[in-house]
Amino acid sequence: MRITRRQTLLGAAAALLPVPAMAAPEYRLDPRQVADGVWLIEGAQDSIARTNGGAICNVVMLETDAGAVVVDTGGTLRHGAALREFADDRLGGVAAALNTHHHPDHWFGNGAFADRPIHALPGTIAAQKAGAQALSDGLYRILGSWMQGTAPLPATVTAGGELTIGGRGLTVMALSGHTAADLALIDGQTGTLVAGDLLFLDRAPSFPDADIAAWRAALSRLGAMPVTGTVPGHGPFHRDSRAVAQTLAYLDAFAARMEAATHQGLTPVEALAAGPMPAFADMAANPAEYRRATVQQWRAFEISALPVIGGSTLQTTKN
Amino acid sequence: MSAILCHRLPGGEAGLAGFGGGLTRPETLDGGMWDMHRADLLGAPDRWRSDPGLRLLAPGNAEDARHVPILADATGLSGVERLAVTIDYSPFPLALVFHPGRALPLLGFGVKYEIAGPIRASALTGGEWIMGGAFIDAMGGGCSAPAATHARPDWQDGFGEMRARLWPDTGRLRVAIRHPMDTGLADGIPAHHLTDLTLTDARGEKIARLEIHEPLEENPVLTFLLPPDLARGPVVIAARDTSGFRFSGTAAA
Repeated sequence: MRITRRQTLLGAAAALLPVPAMAAPEYRLDPRQVADGVWLIEGAQDSIARTNGGAICNVVMLETDAGAVVVDTGGTLRHGAALREFADDRLGGVAAALNTHHHPDHWFGNGAFADRPIHALPGTIAAQKAGAQALSDGLYRILGSWMQGTAPLPATVTAGGELTIGGRGLTVMALSGHTAADLALIDGQTGTLVAGDLLFLDRAPSFPDADIAAWRAALSRLGAMPVTGTVPGHGPFHRDSRAVAQTLAYLDAFAARMEAATHQGLTPVEALAAGPMPAFADMAANPAEYRRATVQQWRAFEISALPVIGGSTLQTTKN
Repeated sequence: MSAILCHRLPGGEAGLAGFGGGLTRPETLDGGMWDMHRADLLGAPDRWRSDPGLRLLAPGNAEDARHVPILADATGLSGVERLAVTIDYSPFPLALVFHPGRALPLLGFGVKYEIAGPIRASALTGGEWIMGGAFIDAMGGGCSAPAATHARPDWQDGFGEMRARLWPDTGRLRVAIRHPMDTGLADGIPAHHLTDLTLTDARGEKIARLEIHEPLEENPVLTFLLPPDLARGPVVIAARDTSGFRFSGTAAA
């Protein structure tokens, strides 16, 4: 093949052309009204990844006379900004925001609501302040440019009890189990429960800060509430109580698997490699969530499987 | 044949197969610091090979850089004299050296991970080194962060507590020691870590010995595999650290 001088020049010029910057990724929201004045923007059913930009949690907007109450603000500043844009365009602005708990997919969008009160439980605000840097480092590493401009902004107002915003009455429940401070919300007007990550449906629960006994207790409280519909932290809106039943079944099965593994002398990496409980193996976000949970929860189970047999002494030299 | 126990959990056998069974394609491991560590840490600059008789189970990423669980299983090899664990980009690349003696060449442990990269288990058998390993992605920082216990004012409470249990049916022995395993890299906290651990039988005869270095996790839990006669116990466990502390206990079946 003969290469002409012209081709050579064109080739050289092409090499000098600036490489186009990767287009900034966009959040595409699909808000849906699930009850009167209750909007749900459903999260992706996966773990936080570049394919979803960290938009994995459910976000709920409640319409009020003063604008929307935004429950959870998304996983990045730009996710928060996209949510804010929808509220500004369609719901008459934002009256207030709420963070259900301190996991970053639920509040790293707070920056887009910085001019409004952001409510959270006291334990959540403390955990947001303590963990912001580490959580942020982790998310920048996973999400790259999706995180552009995201500087974690902890909630500003302590939430609790009955709350009326723009004429809409909300009941705030302070629970725990998924984390040390989990907020669940009931909308008085429609009887909709916004459960945060105390409830998962058709998506493996995550355990980084879980206290399984407390989580079970919270589930029994939520299961006893007379509600007309439920938005879990992750998973679809539904009108029956199946997220309560499924989350409880998952906790029980996971705990039983950890008990079985630790009491048979398995190592944590064997329990991890064995994969999730068969009934939950095909759930969204598994086996990734199960593997993570094994590392996070192993020691709490292991301690009861290993009896104390000895201790230490300081060796002394006799003169 | 492996001594991995995933099959004890429902669906675990299929889970392990899907996980890769603890085998990593050797050509992907022939890089990084391997040439240098083989020469400097193992004294084996020239020859090595892989063998499916040596498996290393490790998570693909470190959920917690202070506790990365590992299982090295060389029970598929015969005549293992030594099992050395190295971590490619660790500030302390030599993590452990296990002399199985009368135990079987299997070792479960957790390590701190400072930087993402391969972890390797190398078995010396018949004058030949056989290596298996895995790549672990990690946020890192595990070796330079202060031990979690130093966040408490009373960290000495419970220091040195030893827990252990023998499972005669499988031959497993698991040993836990409360120890900060300070590497010396955390600001203002001097190095203070375990240096070795031995297992002896009821007659005082040595079973196995483990040399311990900085990367072993805080409050380490070690897993050994004993032949049936020794797994009936009792097994005496004794350990030492850099500050002259001695740790001991007896595991009975």
